Parts: sequence; structure tokens; C-alpha cells
Amino acid sequence: MIRLTDIRDSFEGVIPSVIATTDADGVPNISYLSHVHYIDERHVALSNQFFSKTAANVRYRGVATAMVVDGRTGQQHILDLHFVRSIGEGDLFERVASHLAVMSVSQGMGDVMKLRSLDIYEVEDCRPIVPVVSLAEPEETEPPRDRLYAAGQLCAAIAEQGDAEAMLDCALGGLQSQFGFANAVVLVPDEEGRKLSTIASRGYPAFGFGSEATVGEGTIGTAAAMRRPLRISDMRRGHRYASAVHAEIMRSGPEHIPLPSLAQPRSQLAVPMLSRGRLLGVLFVESERSFAFSHRDEEALSLVASQLATSLLLAERDRSEGVAPPPASHQPSPAPAARCIRVRYFPLDGSIFVDGEYVIRGLPGRLLHHFLAAFFETGRTDFSNREIRRDRSLQLPDFKDNLETRLILLRRRLEERGGPIQLSRPERGQIRLECDGLPEIEIATG
Amino acid sequence: MISADVAAFVESPVMILVSTRDSAHRAFIARGSGIRFDRRHGHLDVLLCRGQWSDVAGNAVRGAPIAVTVVRPSDYRAFQVKGVIQEVASPSEEEQQRATAYVARMLEIMAELGVTKVQLSHTLTDKDLVRISFQPTDLFAQTPGPDAGQRVGHPIQR
Repeated sequence: MIRLTDIRDSFEGVIPSVIATTDADGVPNISYLSHVHYIDERHVALSNQFFSKTAANVRYRGVATAMVVDGRTGQQHILDLHFVRSIGEGDLFERVASHLAVMSVSQGMGDVMKLRSLDIYEVEDCRPIVPVVSLAEPEETEPPRDRLYAAGQLCAAIAEQGDAEAMLDCALGGLQSQFGFANAVVLVPDEEGRKLSTIASRGYPAFGFGSEATVGEGTIGTAAAMRRPLRISDMRRGHRYASAVHAEIMRSGPEHIPLPSLAQPRSQLAVPMLSRGRLLGVLFVESERSFAFSHRDEEALSLVASQLATSLLLAERDRSEGVAPPPASHQPSPAPAARCIRVRYFPLDGSIFVDGEYVIRGLPGRLLHHFLAAFFETGRTDFSNREIRRDRSLQLPDFKDNLETRLILLRRRLEERGGPIQLSRPERGQIRLECDGLPEIEIATG
Repeated sequence: MISADVAAFVESPVMILVSTRDSAHRAFIARGSGIRFDRRHGHLDVLLCRGQWSDVAGNAVRGAPIAVTVVRPSDYRAFQVKGVIQEVASPSEEEQQRATAYVARMLEIMAELGVTKVQLSHTLTDKDLVRISFQPTDLFAQTPGPDAGQRVGHPIQR
């Protein structure tokens, strides 16, 4: 019997699988099914969406025969299956359901592929179908890297970093150098958990700091919503999905920053960054190659994402507990002749516009408004993490554990867009507002 | 049983799955290399590679039940035909040529849908063929969705 772990790439669902059964009268039944899901060396799960005849036959006979296809090599394998049980909830069910949800969108099938139940089977035999003649040979691929070693190295490197910004840079740098993943993004959730904002990216023409993905939509948003890794191996047949994503990316509007994205991605992998049960972000990689990410990459990136989440969380704690407040700093106000910077602030969602251009929203927007208002009123330019955390007058939501990442997001967004307002970090735990002009702040109520 | 519309669909560029079963009722799987509706006898003639799909070919004997599913790759429209095998034979020269044309046409169509020759490398072949002729007895809609598995028309007594 072929080991199931040796044919893991055949469980990607890129080429539809096939299932055959026999009914009570001895008549065979054969149909496609979207996925055969690998569970362990002896078990697979079949997503039972609408093949009721198959389900009835399996209940009667207790056996089924499936064929899975490796989308990369075309190799086919036959699995002799023995039905064990059917499940309609639980971790495995949710994992398969979320993957199917994204795949059905990617194949333009809406919710046709909505999962109803998941049938668990024991695999009694697994054997290859040997072709008489192969039409084409698979492309040469690089020998697989040792993902566990690479993940271990990268986790250790992230753990050595002293601050959150260095951790983010270290993670993306390591994904490129140790994994060969050239296009990567880290996004962090907003306070309401509805959007994710780009805080770090690599491999794109623009960083896209502050650009947003919607939780529950697309590969990134679904991984965040389900808190599970999501991997898509071959998006060639998903042009409609790619187009839809691109339309989202290209959507014009005053509050839109383009999300860093490849124009024609063929593989995507999004991994939630979880620590102590909390979602701290999503680590996302993509490629223009099909099958760029294997299940081993998924497992390795899950380790990296967990390490990054925990390190970021610890960095927040470190900032909040160990840094003394800075000396009061009252910089002289700009000369009367200084240019006027028009600032428009929407308290409702924290959106802030500078000289008519959208900058950022949410907590980073509220923070920027706070800095600018203080500067306008007192000429003050230096602030500390600790005072922000303690200042109840800010009336900001509870952000004890994500202030640092929001400050990074804000600083990077300001730097990328350029303009008269910048933030710098002169010392650990301190923030300096650099304002080339005098802000004139309008509070918008719309 | 097989209307003109269904016959035309079956003979259009469709992917073909074939299943027979052994005496223990274990069903087997094969991919077809072409299918034709024999209007004179009311049979369906499906071709498949004997060596590659030895389980299905080995259990394809006169009087045995068979199931064939055909699906149009562009929109997943599909039918499943069930029936009783009437004859198992080597293909004629014309049938061999039809299989070769079928493989070439399917490669073109699948390429347009983004499926590569490598991905189909073990799927399509026109070598070592056997023809299985069967009398259709049941026809089912198989297009993915809530109506999948619905019988189309009335069954024919075997």
C-alpha cells in the first residue's frame, strides 16, 4: 500500500477526485467529488455536498472506491475505502468547510459547494494507476527544502529581536531567504475585528501600509475569520475569483489604499497569527507559480506565525511595563508663517485625512489625531507609549496589547505616503511627531 | 432513454468516467477515451484503456452492470447513464481514430480552461483500447447541485 503521506499533493482538490460505489441492486454509481481530504495515514474524509446516491450506497455497502489526482504530476491513485462515520461539526469539519468555501468562490460556483457533512473513511488500500503512455512529463522542480529546519531557524531569529518592528522585518526577510517566498504580507486586525490592515509587506512595488482586507472575504479574510491556515494551490481555473479580488484591489475611493497583491497569483497561503487564543494578525504569502506552497509549507508557516504572534504580544507587554515616561517636551510652535496642514478627522471611525487625502482609520487614526491635537494646543511633539496607555482622556478602546503594532502601522503609513506629518521613534517607548507646518484640525461629524 | 439532446451531449467533448464492479460489489473506476451513441442498436459504446484500467476492464463482461458519467468541463453539466453490458470487444479502426481525435480535442478544451497537459498526462490516452457496448437502462442528471442524482425519464426494465 502506498503511504498517504507520500501522495499528500493529491489531496489538494485541484483536479477533481472520483468516487464509485455499488447500490443494493449491485449497480455501480460513479461521480466526481470536489475533495478527498487527508486526515492521517489511515484515514481520509470526503466532503458530502450533494451526491446522495453515493451516500446511500455507502450506508448500505459500507465501502467506496475513490481516485485522487496529483495536480502537479497528473499521477492518479486508487483508494479502497471503508466508511467509518459522518460528522457535521467540529474542528475538522470547520477546516474543510472553510477551504471549500474559498474554493467554491475561486471556481465561480458560489455556495454550490457548501459543505453539508463530512464522511470519514478508513483507507484499506492505496495503489497507483500506471499509465500505458504518459502524455507529458512533470516540470522539473527544485528539491524540497527542509521546512522544519527553516521554520526553526526563523522562529529563533524572530525571538531574538528586541522590538516589534524588527520582528516583522525579520519574519518577512526570513520567508524570502529561508523559504524562497518573495511575496509576503503581514496584516493586523482592527479593534472591531472586521478589517485587517497591512503592517508589513515584501516583494511588491508598493508596501501598501494601511491597506485593508475584509475579515471573512478572500484567502486572507477567510483565514482570519476561521482562524485556520488556508492554502490554494492552483488558481488558474479561478480567473473570475482573481478578477473579483483585483476589482477589490483596484476599487477607487478616497479611503482606499491598494492591497499589495500579485496581478495573477496562482498559489496563495494565509496563516492566522494566534497567541493565547487571540488573533494578532495574518501571515500571507503568494506566488505566480502553481503549487508554490505545499502542506509542509503550511505547517512551517504556522510555526512562524505563532512565534511572530507571541513575540509581538511580548513586545507589547515589554513596552507597557518597562519604559519610564519621557521628560515633558514642549517644542516651540512653528513660526506664524509656517504652512497650514489641513487635517480632517472623523471620530466615528477614526478616519483621518491630511490635505484632502485619506491617511488611515481606526486606532492609528485616533492616535494621529491625538498627537496633532496636542501639538496644535501646546506645541508638544514627544509622547510615550506609557502615557498613551494611561491617558484616559483619550477615551480610546482597550488597546493594551496592540498599541505598538498600531504605532508601527501609523508610522509606516505616514512614511510611505510622504507629506508634512511624520512619526519617528527617538528612543524605546517614545514617539516623536514631526510636523512641517501647523495643523488646522476639523472634526467631521459625517 | 437516450434522447437526441442527450445523445448529442454524450458525443460532444465531455470527460468520461466508467465504473464496473466485482462479485463482492466493490466498484472500480476508469476514465473513458471516447463515447458514441449507436443509434441503430440503442447502445452506448464507450472506449477505455484496457491496461491502465484493468479492474474496470476485467469486470466488464456481458450481462454485468455498468455506470458511465459524462461531464462537460466548461460548466460541469453532467449525466450518468447506467446499463447492462452487451459486448466487450477490441475497437474498430474507425473507433480507434475516434479515440485519437477525442484525446486531441479534450486536450485543446482543457487547455482553454487552464488545465495543462501535465495535469492530464495520466488521464487521457488512445492506447490499448477496449470497446464496451451497453444497453442504457437509467439516465440521471449529475450536474453538481441539489438536483444531482435526479432520474431523467423513466427507467427501462432490464
